Amino acid sequence: MRSKILAAFAILASATLCAGQNTIRIGIITSVTGSQAAFGEAHKNGYAIALDQINAKGGVLGKKIELDIYDDQSKPDQAVQGVSKLVDQDHVPVLIGAYSSENTKAIINPVIQHQVPLLIPTATADNVMDSKSPWIFRICAGANDYAKKTIEFLQHNGSPKTMAIVYEKTNFGQANMQAMKDEATKAGIKLVAVEQYEAKSPDYRAVLRRVKAANPDVIYFCSYLLDATTLMRQSREVDINPRYYTSSGTGFAAAEFPTPKGAGKDAEYTFSVSQWLADAPWPGSKEFDAEYVKRFGSHPAYHAMQAYESLLVVAQAINAAKSLEPAKIRDAIRSTNLKTSAFGPVKFDANGQNQHVVLITQVQGGNYHLVYPPEVADSKPIIPAPKWSERK
Amino acid sequence: MTTFLQACLDGLLIGALYALIGMGLALIFGVMRIVNFAHGAFLMLGMYASFLMFDRYQINPYYGFLPAGILLFIFGYLVYKLLIQPIRNRSEFMQILMTIGIDLILIDLAQLTFGADYHQANIDLVNRSLHAGPFTINAASLLSFGLAAVFIVGLQQFVMRSRPGQALRATAQNRDVAPLMGINVIRIQGLSFALGIAFAGIAGGLLLPALYLFPSVGEDYTLKAFVIVVLGGMGSIEGAAIGGLVLGVAESLTSTYIGNQWALAIDFVLFLLVLSLKPSGIFGRQRA
Repeated sequence: MRSKILAAFAILASATLCAGQNTIRIGIITSVTGSQAAFGEAHKNGYAIALDQINAKGGVLGKKIELDIYDDQSKPDQAVQGVSKLVDQDHVPVLIGAYSSENTKAIINPVIQHQVPLLIPTATADNVMDSKSPWIFRICAGANDYAKKTIEFLQHNGSPKTMAIVYEKTNFGQANMQAMKDEATKAGIKLVAVEQYEAKSPDYRAVLRRVKAANPDVIYFCSYLLDATTLMRQSREVDINPRYYTSSGTGFAAAEFPTPKGAGKDAEYTFSVSQWLADAPWPGSKEFDAEYVKRFGSHPAYHAMQAYESLLVVAQAINAAKSLEPAKIRDAIRSTNLKTSAFGPVKFDANGQNQHVVLITQVQGGNYHLVYPPEVADSKPIIPAPKWSERK
Repeated sequence: MTTFLQACLDGLLIGALYALIGMGLALIFGVMRIVNFAHGAFLMLGMYASFLMFDRYQINPYYGFLPAGILLFIFGYLVYKLLIQPIRNRSEFMQILMTIGIDLILIDLAQLTFGADYHQANIDLVNRSLHAGPFTINAASLLSFGLAAVFIVGLQQFVMRSRPGQALRATAQNRDVAPLMGINVIRIQGLSFALGIAFAGIAGGLLLPALYLFPSVGEDYTLKAFVIVVLGGMGSIEGAAIGGLVLGVAESLTSTYIGNQWALAIDFVLFLLVLSLKPSGIFGRQRA
């Protein structure tokens, strides 16, 4: 009996060892559980599709790649532990992550200390790029781009005069609030209310009543998914009727948001910035959408696409580097120059920031429709949002 | 003026639930002189109990809160028997360590069992609101308020009128003399602990439709419960009820006039003010 167990162990051990030799592990930090789990799920699905595509084409450097996913439980301290675990124990040569701006900001310094390249898929707060370190890259557009594109859209569609900003209090919300504050002021739009809220306690009625009293033309929300859902429901309850409901993506652009699981009908007419949509004018977009629906039974939002594209970029960089040395992979990521991809062109500037185009969407009939910029739009924006009392 | 009254109304609605939580803590403190640092964790368990009934068997939380309360009563009694009773005569320091330990273990167990995900019990009532003139009231909050009021009055009557209630008060007044009057102090303490926990469980069930549920949801409520108990005068049950309402209104006014981010801060401003100016509580009543 004992020898059988020993033999089994020996086989297992050799199997893992072989696996260790024949695969390349990519370190991934994301929020599989916790308050951001919906986005962590999207990340995981995006990575899974990219992984299969890469391995089907023979992997990188002649070896299959394998994902080493660390769940940060949506907490920044856990994300920091993830860096140590993945780099010190698992010896991954490159990292992708985290999900939120808060957690990403927390891992920047540990990553720089560990001297491995980090590709940031989704964090929009621009302070994640403040370090100017050569190890840090970001594939998504940031809060400033969000604010600029939203203002540009508003100025082309009725030039509203007043705005209220409602934002959650972590890094993501604060960064987007600040960016919008600057852009709105520059554009001569008067800020009549700037309201912070605590995302985890879902009674935002007092905040919304303050906004209602200020009577803005536009509300700009900076929110994650659960709060976005609750904010729209409570907006109906408080009966607040701005001409435009706009937002800095994320919760307002999540796949679940316009469905009955999210805000359902209350999501109608909300505008959101978006980094990607199945209808985006980039080759491979529709194929990714179709593959996602086939595997996971729902349409993806841009978070899944960013994870997908990040892994493809990293795999390509390892191939180009012809090495698993972190410094060489870093240099290869830096010289990435994709004229086109399912996420649009990918090219990093001197600070490691990908120059990505931001789109504006509106929820119409339970789906996100691309309404801006005009050269890629497939639908007309509906303005103003009907009053709650006039909605069916 | 409308805004002010609306804010007060919202504050009273949530305040009734705070009152339930505070009364549970006050009962335990009054009778046992034990500060229950695990109160929020029991509230969290009440929420999960009610949520699981909703999620698995589609039992509306407005029915589910009752079995959740009963479960928590039994669980509270077991916790008392196994963990609290053995140290009931030890130093306060030991008791604080014990309840903090229970708190940490319950939160971690919840995380292991249910994961760190956020849940929401999406019932239709939460999306309904009633309009009365310029005021809006959320239907679910109103129902929670009504049910909480029933339990608040019920507990107060039980403590003041019933024989076990008299025994509770006698034990609270003097733990050494009470047994001489034929009161089984251990049993009474077990009853008060279980009852206090059951109230946390009921409050959890009633809060479920209005909150997101995650393992550490109770932490803020442990803190709030202390503030409520101190506001009402340590160990006074009626005081805790009023303290809960005061806290609810104070938070709501703060969110409306100063900003949502200050709502939790006002709890501690009140706490410090009361402790430094009138340590016997705003109402300064006799204990229990």
